[in-house]
Amino acid sequence: MKSRILYGVLLMVLVFGLVGCGKKSAGPACAPNCEYKDMVVGFLQTGSEGGWRAANSASFRETADQLGLTLKFYDSQNDLARQVAGFHQFNQDPDVNVIILAALETTGWEEVLKEAQESGKVVVLEDRRIDASEDMYATYIGSDFAEEGRKAANEMCKLLEGMAGTNVWELVGNVGSSAAKDRGQGFRETMDACGIQVTKSQTANWSITEGKEVTEAWLKETQDVQGIFAQNDEMALGAIEALKEAGLKPGVDVKILSVDATAGAFKAMLAGELNVTVECNPLLAPQVYEAALKALNGETLPKWIPSQEGVFSADMPNLQEIADGRKY
Amino acid sequence: MSKSKFSFNFRKITESRLFFPLVALGLILLFDLIAVPGFFRISTREGNLYGNLIDIARNASTVSLLAIGMTLVIATGGVDLSVGAIMAISASVAAILMNPYVLATELPPHIMKFMSDPNFTYQPLWIVILATLIVATICGLWNGLLVAYGKIQCMVATLILMIAGRGIAQLITNGVRIQIFYEPYAFIGQGWIIILPFSLYLVAIVFVLAWLLTRRTAIGMFIESVGTNARSSFFSGIDEKRVKLLAYTFCGFCAGIAGLVASSNIKTSDAFNLGVAKELDAILAVVIGGTMMSGGRFSLLASIVGAWVIQAITTSMYAVGVPAFALQAIKAVVVILVVLLYSEQVRNFVQKISARKEA
Repeated sequence: MKSRILYGVLLMVLVFGLVGCGKKSAGPACAPNCEYKDMVVGFLQTGSEGGWRAANSASFRETADQLGLTLKFYDSQNDLARQVAGFHQFNQDPDVNVIILAALETTGWEEVLKEAQESGKVVVLEDRRIDASEDMYATYIGSDFAEEGRKAANEMCKLLEGMAGTNVWELVGNVGSSAAKDRGQGFRETMDACGIQVTKSQTANWSITEGKEVTEAWLKETQDVQGIFAQNDEMALGAIEALKEAGLKPGVDVKILSVDATAGAFKAMLAGELNVTVECNPLLAPQVYEAALKALNGETLPKWIPSQEGVFSADMPNLQEIADGRKY
Repeated sequence: MSKSKFSFNFRKITESRLFFPLVALGLILLFDLIAVPGFFRISTREGNLYGNLIDIARNASTVSLLAIGMTLVIATGGVDLSVGAIMAISASVAAILMNPYVLATELPPHIMKFMSDPNFTYQPLWIVILATLIVATICGLWNGLLVAYGKIQCMVATLILMIAGRGIAQLITNGVRIQIFYEPYAFIGQGWIIILPFSLYLVAIVFVLAWLLTRRTAIGMFIESVGTNARSSFFSGIDEKRVKLLAYTFCGFCAGIAGLVASSNIKTSDAFNLGVAKELDAILAVVIGGTMMSGGRFSLLASIVGAWVIQAITTSMYAVGVPAFALQAIKAVVVILVVLLYSEQVRNFVQKISARKEA
């Protein structure tokens, strides 16, 4: 909380300070030979919600330092009105030439996007897609949630190949979120293709506690389960706890897959309790900044650049090494 | 003769505070009996009881602990919205005391190997627990001071900590989720003593403590009196401020224990998600337990039964296999039905039936 206020004050000082001094306006004046040092980025982050978001913010801050560009970080505190206000502010800021948006909602952006276009800002969408005409922004960089689901399903099919029983349970994220919807859909498509049915599915709201509770309740009914697919790492960790208490060996008796590849998932894989985690990469900043620079120099970009994401499994020989090298 | 005696007892039973929460619990379990084959199956696993009923009681222990504290606060005519945030704060404090190294970016390898060692803790467990409970109690004290001495409306006063508390919890852990590996700590939420989960004993201990505090001293009467009519209690010499301060402080203490139980149950301190919306569950449990939101008479045991009712609904939904998108809506319908049991009209109806039997 304190830090948010601090950022707010800092931001105000920055904005007023710069306006007051009437510093030279950067902007696309440098095009088509802009470099990172010419870039002044206004970044509208959603707010804090968990480990993924924290890593995402850190990525933008650290990469900005490394590349030598100026970053104005705006924390929308999960409040749409605040985020729109921040967008206005950046539109009117003569120094800012790139605006990066991690949108809280998919709709309602036409007005500010038009304003941005008029004032010549490059708009790049990060992590979250919006419903707006494609010529209003330069590009969208983010995960393909359905692809994550398909990757997980492929791994599940491989793990369960040749097994007598193939009961797969699914722990779903927040109902209605695009991540939950698309991951579930991608997972099902591919599972159907290899002939395995998802026998149970329930929301556990991305949380460890609920992941444990749901799995616990299912286990009372039947212990005939061979695979669990959790749409994020936290829910998988909860399922692992429930399986252990029921006397089953997670990772051995029941194959467990998750999405996100956070530090907790790596620890669980090293302990042999999680089989596979599909990466949902929060370290998007290098890709986003690169795209923004290209757009600033007048290049036309594809409207969607999928983020680079891998699949990690517990039987990788260099797992410890990979885990040590990761930031989140 | 025997008939009238029966009716007399019947009326006495319906007037008991425990009657309605128990009826609600009974109805939900009856539904499970019909709809979910094997719901009541209880087996033993490694000498411990294992089954849905045990799960309900155990998963309800967090809300039960919160509800005990919340009962006293609501009985004074107040409400405490910050208990969920206090849970997050106490989990963060506990996690940091056990493993402060998680905050460091670079660590020498000899410390690195302690990071996931189930026997490693930086501070001994008793200090961890004591310090956590002291912090939680101070949070409660803060609420109490704002409400009783600052004369700020309880909703507003506790809303401050509800919002700021989660920020504080994140500040303590530097915004990261901390996995807890120390095995003895996990005992609080996952351990078993003589066939029952340890967290149930904790609920029992806190309940007895609260019961002794309120029913073996005059404090319980003072609380009810302040909740019923603060002004007249003032004129009869009851220090309203101190009574309120005590209630909020005790509520904070209970939230601290709940934070320990919840975080050790999942072996993680999660400042973002731990205890989110739990204050609402706690308030609902108290309401189901028959304590009026306007304050006055209260029953601790009935509030605990209220917590069981809430958990029984959730567990039943999972067992029945309600689709994810319908979960919230169906839960809401069940809660409405449960709360309907408390409406004056329904009560009169029940009373009428009992009166007719008497005739």
